Amino acid sequence: MTSINKYIKILIAALFVVALMPACTDLEEEVFSEVTADNFFQTEDEFISALGAAYTSLYGYMGTVSVWAAQEVSTDEMVVPTRGPDWGDGGHWVRLHQQLWTPEDPTVNTTWNFLFGGVSACNRLIFQFEELQNPLTDPFIGELQALRAIYYLWLLDMYGNVPIVTSFADADPTPPTNSRTEVYNFVESELLAALPKVTSDVSGATYGRVNQMVVQTALARLYLNAAVYKGSAEWAKAASATNAVISSGNYSIEPNYFANFNVDNSGSSEFIWAIPYDAVFAGGLNIVMQTLSYLNQETYSLAAQPWNGWCTLEEFFNSYEDHDLRKGQPNTEDGPSTVRGNFLWGPQWDVTGKKRLVDAGTLASGVDPDGEPFTIRPEINELFPEAWREAGARNTKFEFEIGGQPNMNNDYPLMRYSDVLLMRAEALWRQNPGDAEALALVNQIRERAGVEPFTELTADNLLAERGREMFAETVRRTDLIRFGKFLDPWFGKDAMDECKEIFPIPKAQTDANPNLVQNPCY
Amino acid sequence: MKKLLTLASLACALVLLTSAQINAQRTVSGVVSDSNGEALIGANILEKGTSNGTITDLDGSYSLTVADGATLVFSYTGFTDTEVEVGNQSTIDVSLQEGELLDEVVVTGYGTQKSREVTSSIVSVKAEDFNKGNVNDVSQLLQGKVGGLVISRPGSNPNGGFNIRLRGLSTVGASTEPLVVIDGVLGGDLNSIEPQDIASIEVLKDGSAAAIYGTRGASGVILVTTKRGEAGVSKVEYTGQVTFETSDQRPDVLTSDEYRNFPAQGQDLGGNINWFDELTETGISHIHNLSLSGGSGSSSYRLSANFRDVKGIAKTTGFDRLNLRGNFSTTALDDKLKITANIASSTEDANLGFNEAFRYATIYNPTTTFIRDEGNPDFAEWDGYFQQRLFDYYNPVALIEQNRRENEIKTLTMNIRGDYSLTDDLNVALFYSQQRSNTILGEYFDKNSFWQGQNRNGLARRRDDEASDQLFRIEANYATELDGNVELKFLAGYEYQDFTFQGFGAQGGDFLTDAFTFNNLGAASDFPNGLGSVFSYKNTNRLISFFGRVNANIDDRFFVTASLRRDGSSRFGAEEKWGLFPAISAGADLAKIGDLSGFDQLKLRVGYGVTGNNVGESLLSLQRFGATGNFFFDGEFVSSFGPVSNPNPGLKWETKNDLNIGVDFAVGDYKLTGSVEYYNSTTNDGIFSFTVPVPPNLFGSTFFNVGEINNDGIELTLGYLIDLGGDKTWKIDFSASRWFTPTLVSLTDENRGVSLGGFIDGANLGSPGQNGTPLVRLEEGAPIGQLLGLVIDPDDPIDDAGFWNFVDVDGDGTQDDILDRTIIGNGFPDYNFGINNTFNFGNLDLNVFFRGVLGHDLINTFRAFYEAPGQISAYNVLASSADIAELKDQPQFSSRHVEKGDFLKLDNLTIGYTLDSGSLPAGFSKIRFFLTGQNLFTITGYSGVSPEPRLSDSGSDFGSLAPGIDRRNEYFTARGFTFGLNLGF
Repeated sequence: MTSINKYIKILIAALFVVALMPACTDLEEEVFSEVTADNFFQTEDEFISALGAAYTSLYGYMGTVSVWAAQEVSTDEMVVPTRGPDWGDGGHWVRLHQQLWTPEDPTVNTTWNFLFGGVSACNRLIFQFEELQNPLTDPFIGELQALRAIYYLWLLDMYGNVPIVTSFADADPTPPTNSRTEVYNFVESELLAALPKVTSDVSGATYGRVNQMVVQTALARLYLNAAVYKGSAEWAKAASATNAVISSGNYSIEPNYFANFNVDNSGSSEFIWAIPYDAVFAGGLNIVMQTLSYLNQETYSLAAQPWNGWCTLEEFFNSYEDHDLRKGQPNTEDGPSTVRGNFLWGPQWDVTGKKRLVDAGTLASGVDPDGEPFTIRPEINELFPEAWREAGARNTKFEFEIGGQPNMNNDYPLMRYSDVLLMRAEALWRQNPGDAEALALVNQIRERAGVEPFTELTADNLLAERGREMFAETVRRTDLIRFGKFLDPWFGKDAMDECKEIFPIPKAQTDANPNLVQNPCY
Repeated sequence: MKKLLTLASLACALVLLTSAQINAQRTVSGVVSDSNGEALIGANILEKGTSNGTITDLDGSYSLTVADGATLVFSYTGFTDTEVEVGNQSTIDVSLQEGELLDEVVVTGYGTQKSREVTSSIVSVKAEDFNKGNVNDVSQLLQGKVGGLVISRPGSNPNGGFNIRLRGLSTVGASTEPLVVIDGVLGGDLNSIEPQDIASIEVLKDGSAAAIYGTRGASGVILVTTKRGEAGVSKVEYTGQVTFETSDQRPDVLTSDEYRNFPAQGQDLGGNINWFDELTETGISHIHNLSLSGGSGSSSYRLSANFRDVKGIAKTTGFDRLNLRGNFSTTALDDKLKITANIASSTEDANLGFNEAFRYATIYNPTTTFIRDEGNPDFAEWDGYFQQRLFDYYNPVALIEQNRRENEIKTLTMNIRGDYSLTDDLNVALFYSQQRSNTILGEYFDKNSFWQGQNRNGLARRRDDEASDQLFRIEANYATELDGNVELKFLAGYEYQDFTFQGFGAQGGDFLTDAFTFNNLGAASDFPNGLGSVFSYKNTNRLISFFGRVNANIDDRFFVTASLRRDGSSRFGAEEKWGLFPAISAGADLAKIGDLSGFDQLKLRVGYGVTGNNVGESLLSLQRFGATGNFFFDGEFVSSFGPVSNPNPGLKWETKNDLNIGVDFAVGDYKLTGSVEYYNSTTNDGIFSFTVPVPPNLFGSTFFNVGEINNDGIELTLGYLIDLGGDKTWKIDFSASRWFTPTLVSLTDENRGVSLGGFIDGANLGSPGQNGTPLVRLEEGAPIGQLLGLVIDPDDPIDDAGFWNFVDVDGDGTQDDILDRTIIGNGFPDYNFGINNTFNFGNLDLNVFFRGVLGHDLINTFRAFYEAPGQISAYNVLASSADIAELKDQPQFSSRHVEKGDFLKLDNLTIGYTLDSGSLPAGFSKIRFFLTGQNLFTITGYSGVSPEPRLSDSGSDFGSLAPGIDRRNEYFTARGFTFGLNLGF
């Protein structure tokens, strides 16, 4: 081989290497099945789809360990007893009911994540829509501002002292805690600022979204609980906000209470704001699974076996008069009740109403008082560890569909006109115990329920009426706190210290953010 | 200078091929024997200075085509190397002298090395030492054979994979499975390769050996080399075997009579059914293997076909598999170019069955009167199968008979390699491989299946997943000798590999008939109402690497190896695309240096290497948006998109720094050989998903590189050959390891505000009733694998009222609050060992293999759920409930359910008989019969089904951070007997 040959070889080799290297050192990552910010946010449909992320967060509201559990099981209207081998779950259901929750409990953390997930989605979308400077998306910004304020209203109610974060691009990775009063002021100013920006349209087009009436109702709730939230009452402002809703003329009382809760409750004339749950497109409402016994799969021909858990407390059940249309009628040994009610109790039947349900696993002494025949009874023998399988009336306020899926098709009202009426009544009564309009508003609700009107309003009868009307609508905890009853002892629960009126900051969050300050007594 | 210039032109191999010179070559054949004239099977013959070589067959014969003027190097484990110049000979018979163990050729990353030159921790297992019997998975071949390598499959599910773990745990979030390299193809699938086609398996245990594999080496590397053909000798071999497997251990539940007489009242239905018997059967499997090999001139081939029909002990579980492989090699261009090509295909039809059936069989009422009564109108909705409505309670026989779950797997692997000798010292190689694997899953749940299916009026699922990759590599090898008897070998290379994963699937229900099963999803009626669903996906990733290595042998006394790899991965964040992984190791043979009498070898070696562990998924470093549900907009649902991850452009590999110190020794003329190793590794930048505050983050968790794990251990390997006189020998091989429990030093990064907050609890026990019951605590500064739970008073487990008597650990006056949970065990094993005895008595051979694991705790979840006597109201209970008949309380997990998992097992016993070559019928070159027993007995105190360590928890996202949990859906163990026949033609 000549040396010329060799140089040619070296040259070719060098060219080969040079040509190869850049092509084969490309490590850019390709995305196929998802989108990045680069290839999203181009069309109007995509803007709407993006806005949806702020609302789909809401579907977690009714999760088995989310706001629904935190607001209901902590109160005197709902409980998840440990039924022998079922629902022990490390004791967190019992702790939730006894108000002995810890910063590590799942409900505490899941609820926090749900609420701040919503805040974060709003922050991101506000930032992205502002960047776009597109007239199509401008209306969305006010809507998101209001929605974020509502997420903060829930945080204010449940955790009190939380960090206020409104920016996205340059957000503090470890935001410090703000005081409950600061959070109150933030929610108020944000709601007021957003009010003129959001749509005034109340129609099918804005169903499930934040409009001006939703903002007014949120303000009403904020003001009604101002004494709890910031230490000074705002009854007049609460009365005024509720008046804005009532005088808008957009809403009316449904003649039938259960029109609000039936499978086809979408578009009820009482709904100010609802989560449009759907068995397929928007899953997340599964009271049917939580409350019914596995045997009741036959009662409704359900697609899945229910979990035999959640039920109501006997004392709360008894707060309804027997002829209260909201309560319902018991099943008997002759067959199932044909009347809709908030509760299911008595002997249980299959879907034909002819076959009595029998629990094969209840022969052992102590499992159920009457052995095999399955008869749901309002009495709960004990909170744990051996609650009867039959114990506690079940929650049928939201209608169960024959042949239904674990995810229910009913919509869930977050804000309902009857509640606004009762809130206005309370705001007026707080200012003047003899207020005639207040009494009339409450009696309007009682009249529909088929029970006798009150002659006067007292703290006790107002709270009890709110309880009966708003059962299972996640307002009970807030109501009990406002009426000073939340810390009282009731079934399975002792009297508690005042600091239990807010939940602890979850351990996972204080671990992740050292600037968070734990709430007192946790 | 000339050499350097030539080195510089390496990359252009193709161009250089044209300038090849033509050299003459010749074929040499012969027989290799020991000093007694006994044929040596599997002896190595290598053309000196090349990678051209072969091994002897069962008769000790070989054939090899070599260049004119070549020198052959003959080597065999335990024998001295012999070199013979070929000259003009065509037959070279060699008699090797016993005593030199050290010239065995060991496969290393991207090359081979003589055993005595190895300075890192590499264990080589040859085909003759593999485990025998009903072996359907390559990892099973190695179980108990390699110190520090634990291979575990608790049940005997024929479709269940083995969990392979080398040297404890050194990662928090990345893969714990070793990298598998099959004939140079990185990322091979051990399942797709036929055990009978394997010539040897090498395990690279330490960082200095594995660092040449960069970001893929941190969990160790398993190198598989397949058998090759030999020119000149055309051979046909057949091996056939049949295995009978019966169910071995099962949970000890009440029989129907015990159930009736149990103090707590159960529901006596009047019948007698042993549900385990109904669920299991004798699994009869057969395996056939036919291979054909040979060649002529410088070309050789080996073709093999393997068929197996495997039936598990659980009805409806098993698979059929056909594996085909062809290995070819030839030379061209005056033997300067050597081409090798391999092609392998595997097709498998598997019946996966349903492991849930084991759980339901455990709790199903043994007094049930019938399993199925087709005409019974009360049970018509379930096609006559007996069912009762209780929570999570289903007739296990109905479950497996009414439903089906099947897998079809097709794998195709091809690779081709060209080696070109530029000069005697310099060799360049190009390598290309392609792998493709398709898995089609089909599931159908009957319209009348109470468990699943009835709720959807028949439910069918189908999914097709495809994984493919291609690899391209350029390698150059250069060898030279310096003054002073210093041999140097250089390796440089470039490697590119890309991976594609894609697939789609659909599920639908509401069928008119069960006849279609999963074969007509279009007939599903519930797509219009949205219950039916479809999906598809695709993701890719790329790995690009440059690597180099230097080996030095200084006067056969000192050995040094240094390597460097630069790895880039598309999966890393934008700021951290490339990593550097250096390693160095050195060894000195003190026996030679110090002239130590008594020692044939005493090699001290030290290695230090940096390896990485890649991110387990693609796209983790990017901010991505995906479908987050549906949004009710203007009266209808529209799809909504939201964030599904947070960005982390700094995301990178885990880094493992590993120190390995070893001593290899041989004494008494190589009768006793062995090695001792100590390793100590520190892993930094663990990949872990942390909860992050939302806001400011969009998504509640982000993957960060955080933390430090320390992991160390000791390994011992001993081999002892006992001469029993005549032609009788007894060889004992002992391997053992001590894993010191890995420690999670930290999982906090204060700079980035990422913290574990001291500890997190995970690995939930589950339903019914024991959700919110974490079983494992991951704690900074503490060992990994801590089992967490309430402590039961050992002296007085049940109080007077009949309730569990828990210890008030935190002293606050309550006995079962979450602060009373404490550490009650550790799931990591301390010791694992294997003792292999090989007896040779002339024609008769006997292999007895014991295996044991010590020091691990297991949570017996069967007991945690089904031991409380009161449970009998709903479920059958374990017979041990009778010991706590006074218990009124509910099942609640505690220290009572944590048991020692120590065991010693007679894992494998094989008796073989080989006919004398003189007495063989015409046409046969070999006839051998063998009988193997597997899992013959186990000595253990563990009361569950299998005491094998559970290295990883499939029941929770804690995965490999939660060892030691024996979950309820576990396949039972089997005992197997195999009869086999091995024929050579």
